[in-house]
Amino acid sequence: MSNKHDARLQETDHVTAQWQTEIEVVHGIGLHARPSVIFTRLAKSFPCTIEIEVNGSSVWLNGKSIVKVMGAKIRKGSVLKIRADGIRAAEAIAALKELVEHNFDEGKIHGRNV
Amino acid sequence: MAEMYRLQGQGTSPGTAFGQIHLAVEAEETFASQTDASAEHAVLADAIRVSIAALRELVARSGPESAAVLEFQIEMLLDPEITEMAAGRIGAGDGAALAWVTALEDYITGFEQSDDEHVRARAADVIDIKNRVLAAMRGNPVADFPGGSVFVGQDIQPSVFLAHDWSSGGGIVLFHGSAASHVSMLARAKSVPMVIGTGIFNIAGEGKLLLDGGSGSVVLHPSDEALQQVLSTRFSPRPPEDEAEQRYAAELQTADGAEIGLSINVNDLSDLISIDREGIEGIGLLRTEFLMSSASDMVNEERQYGIYRQVLEWAGQKPVTIRMLDLGGDKQFHDSGEREGGSFLGLRGIRLLLARPEILRIQARALLRSATHGNLKVMLPMVTLPSELEKTVRIFREESTLLERRRVDYRMPPIGIMVEVPATALMLDTFGAADFFSFGTNDLAQYLTAAARDNAVVADIYAHAAPAIFRLLEHTVHIAATLGTPVSICGDMAGEQEYIPALLGCGLRHFSLAPAQLAVIRLRIMQLNADGTMAVEK
Repeated sequence: MSNKHDARLQETDHVTAQWQTEIEVVHGIGLHARPSVIFTRLAKSFPCTIEIEVNGSSVWLNGKSIVKVMGAKIRKGSVLKIRADGIRAAEAIAALKELVEHNFDEGKIHGRNV
Repeated sequence: MAEMYRLQGQGTSPGTAFGQIHLAVEAEETFASQTDASAEHAVLADAIRVSIAALRELVARSGPESAAVLEFQIEMLLDPEITEMAAGRIGAGDGAALAWVTALEDYITGFEQSDDEHVRARAADVIDIKNRVLAAMRGNPVADFPGGSVFVGQDIQPSVFLAHDWSSGGGIVLFHGSAASHVSMLARAKSVPMVIGTGIFNIAGEGKLLLDGGSGSVVLHPSDEALQQVLSTRFSPRPPEDEAEQRYAAELQTADGAEIGLSINVNDLSDLISIDREGIEGIGLLRTEFLMSSASDMVNEERQYGIYRQVLEWAGQKPVTIRMLDLGGDKQFHDSGEREGGSFLGLRGIRLLLARPEILRIQARALLRSATHGNLKVMLPMVTLPSELEKTVRIFREESTLLERRRVDYRMPPIGIMVEVPATALMLDTFGAADFFSFGTNDLAQYLTAAARDNAVVADIYAHAAPAIFRLLEHTVHIAATLGTPVSICGDMAGEQEYIPALLGCGLRHFSLAPAQLAVIRLRIMQLNADGTMAVEK
C-alpha cells in the first residue's frame, strides 16, 4: 500500500497529526449520491477533521458533509486530495484512500461480500 | 365534462395508468418568528431526530433500492454543514422552521443549477427532507393522496412515493422531473407508470387522466373511444414488426451507453410460450438434456432435429445457443445404466460424449441439419482440455461430410465452450479454436470451492464463492478479449441482480438468464455504468 508512504512525507506523529494523500479517481462515476453516502459515513467515523480538494482547486471542503462532497464534482479522472488533522488522522487517510481505490465499496451497502 | 386534451412528455417508467387526478399543490409555509434561540435549536434538533428515526423505520421496511434512497436522505439530515448553517440562522434571529428552509434553499438551488443531471435530480431529495423536517416541527405526517389516483405536479418526493400505497394502481405525471431522479428509478422498480416533462398544464376542475409511461403520452379527460383504443392495444398481441418493441430490445444499454445483450436460458419448450421474443437478444443456453425424456430420445436424430428446428424457427434470426447433452454429475444418464455415485468430477459433459461418440454423432447430425433453420451456435459442456474441443469439432466435420454425401442440407455452426472448469478458465488462451465462451458459474463455483452445490453441509462455502469467481472472470474476460472471442455468462449469477455490478465490472456484456429474471436485470443494468458503478443512485 502506498498510503503509509504518502502520509510519511507529511508528518510522523501517528496519533495526532496532519496527514494527507493524493489519489486519482480511476473508477466509475465519481461521488454521486450513493458513493457520497459511503464516503461521508466513513469520514464521520473518525474524530479528526477531514477535508477534500479536487483538481488542485485550492478549495478545501468538509469531507464529512454530503452536500460538499457531492458538490465537489469528483469524477473519473479527477485528482482528489484528502487531508486529515487530529486524532487517528493517519488511519482515516488510509481508510478513505482505500475506499476511493476500491470503487467506494460498491456492493458492500447490502452487507454482501462480493 | 371537460374536453379531451393530449400532451406529450417523456416516459420514464413504462405501463399505462388511468385514474382521478391528484394535483399536488405546493404548501404555503408560514414561519413564526423566534421567541427564544435555545428553544428554536431544540425544536430543530428534535424535528431532525424525529425525521431520521422515521426514515430509518422506512429503511427497515424497504427493499434495497428504496433503502439506498432513504439512506441518502438520512445522510443529508446528518450533514454537519447543513445543521451548522441552520444553527447559524437561528443564532441570527430566525425561527427554527425559517432557519431550516433557508439553510436548505441554497443547496436546492445549487443542485438545480448543476450541469450534472445526477446532481440536479438530487434537488428533489433535498426538498423532500426539507418538507419532512418542517412537517415534523408541526407534528404532521407526510401528506398522502388517494389510492389509484394519478399524481400530477412539479415533482414528487421520494418519501411521498414510498409512503403511498400503489397496489390499487395509479401513476405519476410531472411537469418537469428527471429520468435520473430517485422517483423515476423507484417507479420503474415498482412498475408505477410515469411521465415527466409535460410542461405545466391547466387542469379544468375534477377529472381523470390517462398516461402511457412507455410513449410518454398523457390524455386529459380521455373520451371513451380513446380509452377503448388504449385498452385494446394494451391487451392484444402486438405484431413482431412493432417498432416500439424493437427499440425496447435494441436499446438495452448501461447508463453510460455500453451495449448489453440479454438472452434467456431455456430448459423446456413451454418456457417459450410466454416470452416476448423481441425483448431478448436470443437464447443463450438451451439445455438439451432436459428436452430428452428418455435414453431413446438421445439416440433419436429425427426427434432431436424436430426440437432444435422448432426452437430455431421460434427465434427467427436471433442466435440460439444449444448446449450438447450435459449428462453425469447431478443429471444421470437416463436408463443407460451409467452411474458414478453422484460424482461431479468424473465422466460427465463432453467427457461422457467423447466416451460415447455414437451419442455425440447423433446429436451433431441433428444440430448440423437444424442449423439451416436459424442462427445456431453449439456449446460444449465441461470442456477441460483443448483436445476435447478439437475432437468434437472433428466429429462435426466428419458428420457434415457424411451429410453432404447423402445430399442432406446442413450448415456448420459456430462451436464454443462452456467455461465451468477452473483449469479451462486459467488456460483460456489455449482455447483459441473456440468460437465463443460462456461462463457456467454454478459449476465454476463448486469446482473453485471444492464444495458441491447440492450438498447442504457445505452450502455456506459454496455460497461464498463469488469473490473468487469474479477474480477468475476478470482474468478470463481479458484473455478472451485478446483472443477476440465473444464471451457471455449463462450461470445463475447472471440472473441475480446483486451480482450484476461485479459482473459488469469484470467486463461481461452479454448475460443469459432465466426468463423470470429478465425485467429486474434489465432495470438493474440501466442503472449501472459499464464498469458496474451506480449511475442512477440507489
